[in-house]
Amino acid sequence: MKNDTTEAVLLEQNRIMTRRRFVGLSGASLAVLMFGGTLAGCAGGDEAPAEGESKQDAPAESASTDTTAADSAAADVDFADWDAVLEAAKGQTVTWYGWGGDEARNNWINTVLAPALKEKYDVTLELVGMDINDVLTQLSGEMQAGVEKGSIDFIWINGENFYSCKENGYLWGPFTDYLPNFNDYIDPESPEVLYDFGSPTEGYECPYGKAQLQMWYDSKAISDPPTTVDAFKAFCEQHKGQVTYPEPGDFVGTAFISCLIAGVIGKEEFEKLSSMSEPTEESVLEIVQPGLDYLRELNPYLWKEGTTFPADSPTVATMYADGELVLNMGYGAPQELVETGQLPESTRSFIFDSGTVGNSNFMAIAANAPHKAAALVAINEVVSPEMQLSIYEDLSGISVLDMTKLPEEDQQAFADVPLGETQIPLDELLAHRVSEASGPVIPILEKLWLEQVAQA
Amino acid sequence: MSGQEPEVEAARAASAGTEGPAGGGRPRRCRRRKRNGAAWALVALQALCVVGPVAIIVLWAFTSAWPWPLLFPETFTTRGVEELFGPSQRLGEVLATSVGIALACALLTVVVATMAAAALSRYRFCGRDVARFAVLVPFLIPATVFAMGVQVAFLRAGLSGTVVGVVVCHAIVALPYAALIMVDAMQAAGSRLEDQARLCGAGPVRVWATVTAPTLAPALLSAASMSYILSFSQYFLTLLVGAGKVKTLALVMFPYLSSGDRTIASAYGIVFLAATLAVFLLFEVLLRRQVSREIDYFNG
Repeated sequence: MKNDTTEAVLLEQNRIMTRRRFVGLSGASLAVLMFGGTLAGCAGGDEAPAEGESKQDAPAESASTDTTAADSAAADVDFADWDAVLEAAKGQTVTWYGWGGDEARNNWINTVLAPALKEKYDVTLELVGMDINDVLTQLSGEMQAGVEKGSIDFIWINGENFYSCKENGYLWGPFTDYLPNFNDYIDPESPEVLYDFGSPTEGYECPYGKAQLQMWYDSKAISDPPTTVDAFKAFCEQHKGQVTYPEPGDFVGTAFISCLIAGVIGKEEFEKLSSMSEPTEESVLEIVQPGLDYLRELNPYLWKEGTTFPADSPTVATMYADGELVLNMGYGAPQELVETGQLPESTRSFIFDSGTVGNSNFMAIAANAPHKAAALVAINEVVSPEMQLSIYEDLSGISVLDMTKLPEEDQQAFADVPLGETQIPLDELLAHRVSEASGPVIPILEKLWLEQVAQA
Repeated sequence: MSGQEPEVEAARAASAGTEGPAGGGRPRRCRRRKRNGAAWALVALQALCVVGPVAIIVLWAFTSAWPWPLLFPETFTTRGVEELFGPSQRLGEVLATSVGIALACALLTVVVATMAAAALSRYRFCGRDVARFAVLVPFLIPATVFAMGVQVAFLRAGLSGTVVGVVVCHAIVALPYAALIMVDAMQAAGSRLEDQARLCGAGPVRVWATVTAPTLAPALLSAASMSYILSFSQYFLTLLVGAGKVKTLALVMFPYLSSGDRTIASAYGIVFLAATLAVFLLFEVLLRRQVSREIDYFNG
């Protein structure tokens, strides 16, 4: 018994020694890991660790020496001299951030655009597909931390996201004047180039593609699609519970209610919204009230009697593909979906006689882009007649080029592209194009919809 | 210290049952005798709940459209497979990155968690309860808020856009889970076996290698596989800290999930599942079987 206790005491003493060591070691590692990331991150950015950041690029690239050499050259590149830009871009790897959920577009970029850039200009294009909100989070994080050489070179962007990035000084520009193809083939005075959802682009973004809302259905199930708002209401009554739209807030949902409102109040009245720079709830309501009344009257015939709406357009697309809905809508024709067998061959598109909303999407360069020259080269290539034609052929995207500025044979090439069964001819689309409400109007419109239609 | 002894004793007794399939030889045998129809039905139900959804994912990976009211899809496509092995995706590279990061994260997490657990469960020191709470902090902070903070901190430290940065931030997320497992296991195991070994003259390293590590092995494996899975399925953190440059499987898969492309998302889902299961099986079956032999020596 006595032996036991002495041994225990001995052990106890023994352990006090190790205890200190343990507390020191594990306590320190714990504290560093736990709080290091959390707390240090939460306290804003006041120091600019330029040397720290330059490290991050080095291990990622195989041709790191080339890149750094090109980087230092890029600092004093005269961007107005296109040959100098081409020279500086040589050997650079440029990253393009944007929405990555479109398989066809990702494939086009990786198999058509990227090889062309590599071959013609020795520029490697790295596509980073992610949600646009995540791109913006990353960009703002880097900018706030004062990173001088960020990870993003250029971004696929438009609308409110562009507006907020430009306001915060996250974008580099104006740069469109540097691009030969922009100067040669794009009409700089076109409202779709000058304005992006009502906010002036001022050369901080270059058009990438145009999109216009259209609706589609299965012609085996439906004989004549509703091309006016009255016919649409009758259509909803006829297919009770089989029609709905994504909740506005989703960009397709907002665009679709915009089309219906424009159908009720008329195109001219609706386009007043696209020039409003400082809208108030009252001024918007004054214009759209009849449209909201119409939407409220639709509710009883919609899916779940309009008591709830699908949260986003992918949900609606899934419901349509599964046969739960008879109508779907989106920017651009569903040609790709038909060709890959996701939708039946009998799928057809239509637009309202009163028009559907359209907008442009753009490419912008990040203020802290490490490879600005290569970004310019890549953007210039995207707006070349050759690539725009390829986008039109492969992705059925509407070109941003001014057709009248193109050489004869290029115009012919565009005209010769065969239209898919689901595609609406370009001139018909453009003839029925309604300008989207301006950036600041959109949240107000969504709020009014929520108050007057969803919660009515 | 002496006040803790009864607790430790009780916990240790309990641990014999909670150590799972590895340690609990006796309870298992009891169950085997009682096996009956109801048990089989439950097992079947469980299997159905797991196998059913997985089967649907496999079907979807090869299906182009599956509209109501078809019971089974009628149109098939190789689009999903083509996307996986197509020219625009480097599946092998992405998979290697994912598994590598997850394994490194599991290792790092388990080492740190074991040290932390040893400090928390065996020693008394000033601020121990604060430290114990600190272990749970990553649980309590919303993931998005946490991710933004980590992004800025890592940018400053030059860890952004690097694999090391991603491993470290995954480890921060996995640490509370691993630490909780390890704290419980250490308390349950107690220090008596180690004390005995020390009294017999073994040095600290030998005690660790021959007594502590084998006793804690099941918990170590649980913590490691938990960390592995957490790391493997991280999306948002990887995105922000990896700056899009570190491409893991979750990162490549997510845009297809959110855009509603079920064929491609399912194809990635299968790869995801296979990669997780493969390593999980390695941890759970092979290693644990090896370890359980050694454990019996202590229990028996």
